[in-house]
Amino acid sequence: MAYNVLIVDDSATMRALIRKVLVISGFDVGEYFEVGNGLEALEVLEHNWVDIILSDLHMPEMDGAGLVQELKKHEMWRHIPVVLITTEARPEVINPFLNLGVQDYIQKPFRPETIREKLSGLLGEARTTDASEIESCDF
Amino acid sequence: MLAKLKAATFEVLETMFYLFPESLEEGEILRSRGPFLRSSVTIAGPQAISISVQVPQSLARKMAANFLGTDEEEISQPEMEDILKETANMLAGSFLSKLEASAAFKLLTPTVQMLAAPEKNKKDPDKRLRFEVEEEVMELFVEKR
Repeated sequence: MAYNVLIVDDSATMRALIRKVLVISGFDVGEYFEVGNGLEALEVLEHNWVDIILSDLHMPEMDGAGLVQELKKHEMWRHIPVVLITTEARPEVINPFLNLGVQDYIQKPFRPETIREKLSGLLGEARTTDASEIESCDF
Repeated sequence: MLAKLKAATFEVLETMFYLFPESLEEGEILRSRGPFLRSSVTIAGPQAISISVQVPQSLARKMAANFLGTDEEEISQPEMEDILKETANMLAGSFLSKLEASAAFKLLTPTVQMLAAPEKNKKDPDKRLRFEVEEEVMELFVEKR
């Protein structure tokens, strides 16, 4: 089953990296959507079905917290899993987001298999790609 | 404090760039050609500091290529700058995690600038880290804000 993924990050290079990591992770992605902030993410959600959101914390216009708050207000969006991809993993920073309903977080720097494990766990599907295969990928 | 920043540097370069830095001792000379790129991120809080990472453009290009998994020839200047900002951001975030700093310390948006010659920060070598990366020099500076 392919999943539609929305990547929210104000860094185009980080979005490109996440996309590449998803590819080499063997994650079955249907459609990719990429935007630079929370407001743009909401626009994508207005017109498209998204299975999981990977979001940065600090962004202009609307940050990760603002995005999660907006998602929780809408019946259609409140159950979409959100994973934060962030340099900040201190409990004092992350816990408020987990309390808001964010499912999980991935701290940068990260390895490809970390993303695969988190997404597979959240979407409840066992993946068959061998971890050693991922580690040996030159990306 | 510098030991934790050094550990953060190894972690970020090895995990995200597949680069393996070696520490350079003070006075150890390794020539690098300019121009140079320097990215800085401020850690705001009770004792605000900034962390800067400075590399020759050729190393920035190599880092970007490794980061994105593409050829060096395909890397643009904005990509190099973006990736160096991301590097500074990751270094500072990892550094804060290792310090177990309180939520009062916050990362601000990183900046980047191009320099014709490297800034030396000679006044206080105790607040500087130097690494050899792919036969080029990467320098980190910690400054009070």
